[in-house]
Amino acid sequence: MIDFEEEIQRFKPSLEVEAVSDAIIKSDLTDMADIMMEIMKEIKEK
Amino acid sequence: MDYLQKIQFAANSYYNRGLEMAKERDLSGAALYLKRALQFNKYHTDARNLLGLIFYEMGETSDALTQWVISINLQPENNRADHYLDEVQRKPGQLEIASQTIKKYNQALFHAQGGSDDLAVLQLKRIVEEKPNFVKAHLLLALLYMEHGDHTKAGKSLFKVLQIDKTNQKAQRYMEYVKSRTGKADVEKRKMKNAFSHREMQDDDVILPPTYKENTGWQSIINIAIGLVLGAVLVVFMVMPARERSLNYEHNQEMRAYADKLNLANQKADSLQKEADQYRQEKEAAEENLSSLMGDSDSTLSQYGTMVQILNAWRKGDIQTAVQLYIGLDQSKITDESMAGVLGELQAEMNASAPAVLESLGAQSTAAGDYDTALHYYEKYMEINDKNPQIIFNMAMIYKTKGDEETADQLFGQVIMNFADSPLAESARAERGY
Repeated sequence: MIDFEEEIQRFKPSLEVEAVSDAIIKSDLTDMADIMMEIMKEIKEK
Repeated sequence: MDYLQKIQFAANSYYNRGLEMAKERDLSGAALYLKRALQFNKYHTDARNLLGLIFYEMGETSDALTQWVISINLQPENNRADHYLDEVQRKPGQLEIASQTIKKYNQALFHAQGGSDDLAVLQLKRIVEEKPNFVKAHLLLALLYMEHGDHTKAGKSLFKVLQIDKTNQKAQRYMEYVKSRTGKADVEKRKMKNAFSHREMQDDDVILPPTYKENTGWQSIINIAIGLVLGAVLVVFMVMPARERSLNYEHNQEMRAYADKLNLANQKADSLQKEADQYRQEKEAAEENLSSLMGDSDSTLSQYGTMVQILNAWRKGDIQTAVQLYIGLDQSKITDESMAGVLGELQAEMNASAPAVLESLGAQSTAAGDYDTALHYYEKYMEINDKNPQIIFNMAMIYKTKGDEETADQLFGQVIMNFADSPLAESARAERGY
């Protein structure tokens, strides 16, 4: 059984073209390599 | 192998898996793996560019642009994303259209979430017409249709979504719901059950050959057209001739009945014609009889009249007149019994008296040069008595005088042969030149 009200609320607005630049800026580009490098840096400092 | 290398390998593995799924049009699944690859290595350009392509394919142009722009920033040189961005921005107004479409979708979502379903449906229908691969718009439209019980239309929208992204979880879930409402789920369950069941064959089971195909609409139309043509051919070549034969038979029967009637009529006409002919013959015979009785001098009445004249002349003693009338009498016409008796008596008298009178009349006619009349009297004489050589000789002489030598010689011969002792025999010989 599908609950319409619940289901309709799960839909999110699409990213508008004008908001692309903001989205890019706000993008968290941290990857696993960054995290590893950070960890290794902290280990060396200790 | 250090940790960084291991991270690179992990990123590559996720990318490869994502690429495989993308090739199989499992776009949602591919997006998940590609995001995971980028979480391990943000510099994996191919993974990011492919993720952008997947967003673009699902109608999320802004998300695609975001990924491609980041990709260009992370790898400015030799990057395929440059080409993608160029493609999207090359056609004038395309980016603006994409922007408007996304805005319309967001507006429709706002209406839908606010309870203005009708407005939302109208907006979304227009959006999917303009951008048929906008997955989120299709999904929202399907949900609205489902809410209003229009499961068929919802199914159509969901079918399009699954054509774009075949493992889209939301679409699959909605589709299951739609199928359960339209009864298709039961049909599919039965099909699956039949496909994997191993029950024994029943008597009324039908085994369809592998070549059997359900007819499509056009095939059905073609089959109907072929059927109509075959039906027309059947009518032309089998039904029509039979009908024609039947009509001909009926016509022949009718003609035969008319012919029978005509024959009967002809027979009747012939019969009437025969009767008419018979009556006509009887009439002619009667007229002839009447004519023979009352007509010319040879008539019966005339002969009776002659009889009376003969008797009167005889009674008066005028024998010559009586004999002349007697030789002209047609005795065959005297049939009356009383008159026949009178005639018998008259014959006896005439046989006795007539020869002398006739000989005298013949001699007178000969002397007068009337040879034919003389011969007539002599012939009548011969009818009464043919044993008188003088009469035969006289006739021979008349024929000789008339130049009929042959008849004359024959008559002279009779005298010579039959009356050889008669003095006339010598004269006859002399006449014949013996």
